[in-house]
Amino acid sequence: MSELVIQTKDLNKKYGGRYAVRHLNLEIARGEIYGFLGPNGAGKTTTIRMLLGLIRPTMGSIRIFGQDLKKEKMNILRKVGSLVEYPSNYGHLTATQNLEAVRRILDVPKSRIDEVLDIVSLTKEAKRPVKGYSLGMKQRLGIATALLGNPELLILDEPTNGLDPEGIHEIRELIRSMPKQHGITVLVSSHLLSEVEQMAGTVGIIREGEMVFQDTISNLQQQASGGFRLVVSEPQEALHLVRGHGYAGQLENGGLSLEQLSDPEVALLVKRLVDNNHAIYRVEEKRRTLEDIFMQVIEQGGFQ
Amino acid sequence: MGGYFKVLSSERLKMSRSFIVLLLLVSPAVAILIGLLSNVSQTAMPWTHLLLTMSMMHAMLFMPIMSGIFAAFICRYEHSGGGWKQLLVLPVSRTGVYFAKYTVVAVMLAITQLLLAGAVFLVGYIKGFHAPIEWEVMLRSLLGGWIACLPLAALQLAVSMMWSSFAAPLALNVTFTIPNILVANSSTYGPFYPWAQPLLATLPGSEMDGGGFGALNLPFENLMITVVGSFIVFFTFGWIYFRMKEV
Repeated sequence: MSELVIQTKDLNKKYGGRYAVRHLNLEIARGEIYGFLGPNGAGKTTTIRMLLGLIRPTMGSIRIFGQDLKKEKMNILRKVGSLVEYPSNYGHLTATQNLEAVRRILDVPKSRIDEVLDIVSLTKEAKRPVKGYSLGMKQRLGIATALLGNPELLILDEPTNGLDPEGIHEIRELIRSMPKQHGITVLVSSHLLSEVEQMAGTVGIIREGEMVFQDTISNLQQQASGGFRLVVSEPQEALHLVRGHGYAGQLENGGLSLEQLSDPEVALLVKRLVDNNHAIYRVEEKRRTLEDIFMQVIEQGGFQ
Repeated sequence: MGGYFKVLSSERLKMSRSFIVLLLLVSPAVAILIGLLSNVSQTAMPWTHLLLTMSMMHAMLFMPIMSGIFAAFICRYEHSGGGWKQLLVLPVSRTGVYFAKYTVVAVMLAITQLLLAGAVFLVGYIKGFHAPIEWEVMLRSLLGGWIACLPLAALQLAVSMMWSSFAAPLALNVTFTIPNILVANSSTYGPFYPWAQPLLATLPGSEMDGGGFGALNLPFENLMITVVGSFIVFFTFGWIYFRMKEV
């Protein structure tokens, strides 16, 4: 496995008697886009706030760039850009002034302000006070701020929250370009799988503060296969025959719904049915959408 | 120290486009009005009397209240726009941020004092004073008044950081400031009431003319013990709180 940019070990955060985050082991490799998924209130933002040193973990350790966050906080934060929950800005200042307020602390050259404004296409609006901005523009300014310090790691908490489809598309393309064009590792959280699956290579799914799934998106997609469906001329008799061969199945909308089988098993079953004079109209794989799997993972806390 | 000067520079930019500059002018403007309406020109020490007249309201009400307004103001844009998060994910220490914010409040108060000094000179000039300016009295009053405000500023900064509301810290501030009208005259409670210290430290007191009344008879040094004591308590409280604060 390549170098880990973020690694948490048994991370816990307790509020009162309730765990907001529990036994969380997050692993994010360099150069990847990591989708951090979970319903609202699952502990995503709490985790991100811990990663950024805004709150202290109750227990557990955080290593970023291989360094301990507690000891090397300043060095780590210098290389991290972030957007937490909703974009932060000073309404009475223009976009340029907002970036300048941050630039003075980051100590990067002034030309960087124009560069990041250009990346998020805000150059034209840069001289207006931010309080007149739309949510999408504020969000883009937030991302520009996050990019200002040439970060190696970008942490974006729900960056497309509240945006219209066009805005979502823009931000998604922007995030997707980060690892390729700038070599930046990205952690992006969302409560919508559909949003993350188009850009993330790896996903972590969190539910009630606990990580219930962490793997590549293609492995998640493999879980999506959910058996197959046969549409035949005489479903009743066909079902009888199938059960006679020891396979589980049931009638469903005039077809047969069967469990997942290997390719030779499917071929054999079809042959048997044909031999018994069943006309086979269709053999379909039942693919569950990632959204279904996501819901299943969230509701049950993992795969069965 | 954790990016103190960088934060300070950033703070200056954030302040620059706000209307806080107008607030600086309120108290000196009121003082000018009071000064012009007063009748002090024919006394033996016209400058001292003019200062006394003009700084009464200023030191009793405006300075303590301004400490609260400045503190609340520099926390307001952080609370309202989610600025704390943005600021604290940058490579700066909490201590650096806290000290920088406090410095801004202290500097604003110092500017207010300088403006008041300017106001006194202006009124004196308009009234055509011929007596030489009593620099020592002026300096002692204005510097003392400023120092006496520092603990109040520390407390106000702490509560402004704690409460995201703009009004709550100000309400607290005014609640403690209004009793000044009574407390400052009490020789029993006056010396120990932090909010009364700016007035007590500003008014040219016993050392100058052997007169004065109530708590004003107390030596300067004693006031400083209350001031320094409350400063240490309030400042440390705010500092520790901010270091622990969950953002």
